[in-house]
Amino acid sequence: MLEIENLVAGYGGVEVLRDVSVKLSAGEIVGLLGANNAGKTTLINALSGMVAPMSGRILFEGRDVTRLTPRQRVELGIVQVPEGRLVFPEMSVRENLQLGGINARAKPNRSRQMEAVLDLFPRLKERLSQDAGTLSGGEQQMLAIGRGLMAEAKLLMLDEPSLGLSPLFVKYIFDIVDRLHAEGLTILLVEQNLMLTLRHAERCYVLERGQVAIEGPSDVIKDDPRTRSAYLGL
Amino acid sequence: MREEFYNTLSSPVWWGVLVLAALLPLVLSSYYLHIVILSLVYVALASSWNIVGGMAGQISLAHSLFIGIGAMLSSALLLKLGINMWLGLLISAAISGALGAIIAWIDFRFRLGHLSFVLITLAFAEMGGIIVEGWDFLGGASGLMLPRDTGNYLAFQFGGGHGAYWVMLALAAICVLINVAILNAPLGYYLRTIRDNEKAAQAIGVNILRYKIAAMVISAALASVVGTAYVRYMTFADPYLLISPVITIEIVLFATVGGLGRAYGPALGALLLVPLGEILRGKLGSTLPGLHYFIYGVVVIAVILLTPRGLLSYFELTWSHWRRR
Amino acid sequence: MSEFLQAIAQGVLIGSTYGLLALGMGLLYGVSGVVNFSHGDFISLGMFLCLALYSALSLDPYVSVFITVPVMMVLGTLVFRFLIRPMIGHQFLMIVQLTLGLSLVLQNGILMVFGGQPARTPSVVESKLMILGEVVLRVPHVIAFGVSFALAIGLFIMLRSTDFGRSIRAVHQNAHAAALMGVDVGRVQVLTFALGIGILAIAAALLLPGTPIQPTQGLRYTIITLLVVVLGGMTNFVGIMLGGLVIGISEAFGTIYLSNTLGALMPYVIFVLIMLFRPQGLTWSSSR
Repeated sequence: MLEIENLVAGYGGVEVLRDVSVKLSAGEIVGLLGANNAGKTTLINALSGMVAPMSGRILFEGRDVTRLTPRQRVELGIVQVPEGRLVFPEMSVRENLQLGGINARAKPNRSRQMEAVLDLFPRLKERLSQDAGTLSGGEQQMLAIGRGLMAEAKLLMLDEPSLGLSPLFVKYIFDIVDRLHAEGLTILLVEQNLMLTLRHAERCYVLERGQVAIEGPSDVIKDDPRTRSAYLGL
Repeated sequence: MREEFYNTLSSPVWWGVLVLAALLPLVLSSYYLHIVILSLVYVALASSWNIVGGMAGQISLAHSLFIGIGAMLSSALLLKLGINMWLGLLISAAISGALGAIIAWIDFRFRLGHLSFVLITLAFAEMGGIIVEGWDFLGGASGLMLPRDTGNYLAFQFGGGHGAYWVMLALAAICVLINVAILNAPLGYYLRTIRDNEKAAQAIGVNILRYKIAAMVISAALASVVGTAYVRYMTFADPYLLISPVITIEIVLFATVGGLGRAYGPALGALLLVPLGEILRGKLGSTLPGLHYFIYGVVVIAVILLTPRGLLSYFELTWSHWRRR
Repeated sequence: MSEFLQAIAQGVLIGSTYGLLALGMGLLYGVSGVVNFSHGDFISLGMFLCLALYSALSLDPYVSVFITVPVMMVLGTLVFRFLIRPMIGHQFLMIVQLTLGLSLVLQNGILMVFGGQPARTPSVVESKLMILGEVVLRVPHVIAFGVSFALAIGLFIMLRSTDFGRSIRAVHQNAHAAALMGVDVGRVQVLTFALGIGILAIAAALLLPGTPIQPTQGLRYTIITLLVVVLGGMTNFVGIMLGGLVIGISEAFGTIYLSNTLGALMPYVIFVLIMLFRPQGLTWSSSR
């Protein structure tokens, strides 16, 4: 479904990703691991169209999307749930969700989709009129994921969903992730939390200094000593 | 960092340029000489504003006050109280500096945002203008006429033409040098941290109030001195010219287009835009009213679109590209 | 006493239009960080266009507004696309200087075409008066008040209940997240600018009847709008409308009780006092 070929990308002329190639099949849940500045968020932003690649290609469902705008990518179904949630603080939960479904493909089904999302996150249903800025970290994460789902994603990219959350919320969120995966959603999971990712993702890529250092099924990677060293930047 | 400053002072390029510039009056007609003198005035003014607006990031529109005080007050002191203009220059500079300090203090004490500061300084400038226009001592609405310039240096007279030119050249050079000095001294460093992130600067213990006041005082005093010299050159102290916010808007334009916060930026901006404005006005001013300003506006827009990071950055980049070839 | 009421009434009427003008500026700032210093000159342009339409076709400003609004919006879109958008992300003061250059171009363009003499554009309602008790109100001012208020309410509803309004607020609150949701940030910016210009065109027609106009008046309107916007906390809807009323009323008091030149200072004085003691401006709890 998704093919990234030899991607080179960065900011202001400085390369962050050097020759990265990643593949995802429909329905998979793939993890993207790596230490802090390995390039995980840059890769996700390149997929979302927020960073223009210096060279390389991105193919989605067979189409070359490398030159498409962020809006076009969302309309194709490539949706990012950003690091730090980034909910719209002075808009209500309802408005945040409505905005999630603003793209042309999702808009016709918006009310139905909203019901589905609220069924998935009953806590949000209780807080529909509350300003998103007043929600707790966990609730904001729910809202951010809900917002992403409103966009009718075909590929959902989660950037550090466990960041700053209590263990209880982390479990809750990842139960939801499993559930979405079971329903057939393709998920790219970017996480700092090694164990968590290996447990929920079928396959993983480990980025080190802008390149793919290790890739493979999670249980194989788990026992690979190189993983830990790449991870700790040793 | 002091080294940079001494390097500049002893740089042959600097002195070469200065000597060449000093020789200009010998080859220019009085019309063009006037334009160059005017450009130098604005080099000095824009450079002085740069200290508070470019380096410290405090966009003050109050400078017309300081220029006006330097011009009107020293003239009034001479004409009404017989006080020598050199002394008048010092008194005006001191008062401007004090006013500047008060404004900086208000900015700090009341924690004004940037746009608030702009508008409040504008408010002060407008109020100043109204006070001057209403106060006969300062010439009221009709201004003050200075005694003829007979070249008596003791009386702050430079003999018009060439003498005025050399004085302005010196003033402009001094203002730019002060920019260089500050940028290479701890003061410049503190001002830039305040500009880039005031909260962070405060968090690491930078004394915001002291440095804001310092920048404002230096800037105001310099602007005032230039004002005094300028009014001497013009011989007529025109309140509409000297106290109006238009002059401030112009110097902010020159400083920004040339390169905000850089030592040579404002000079570059003034040296390009002042002659442009004057020549446009000279050639087109009497044809269709508004035409020369229209073209001036178009040129400004074009220059900014072409060099959005300022003229100085643009030239530096082109220079380094050219050298790499 | 009647002078006092007169001042208040006049201030409220004009202040509502000032508020409307400032909303346009505030919205643009919210989505792009740009402050347009040729704001007042666009108002001026709107007024002179009405004048031209009157001279050529004898159209009352309240009618010609239907022509000037689309014309100005197209012009605004072009200006934004070619002059302002390339500058977004660059130094704030540089963008300001660009808009000041634009101000010179607009002002002097008008000067070249219309000449420098103050001109009046007659309107059917121009000299009609409305009397409420002790207060004498000029009908154009009452119309201005009604339309401004209605438009402000319309804007408020648009921002709260339409997708476009939500995208504006989203871009303002977090442009990156908005883009990730598929919002075309560039399009929101240009549409917001065009919307602001359209509002300016309407406000120009509202302010026109009975007012002599000159090409150089642009700066005055720009500064008044700036005062209102900053008073309103830059992007706070209610704050801006309140700011408009405050400035309108101070201006009215100034001109009624003091001489003209001193009166023009009143808005500044009130502005300084308010900002000194309430640096966040007149922001109203939840800023939308």
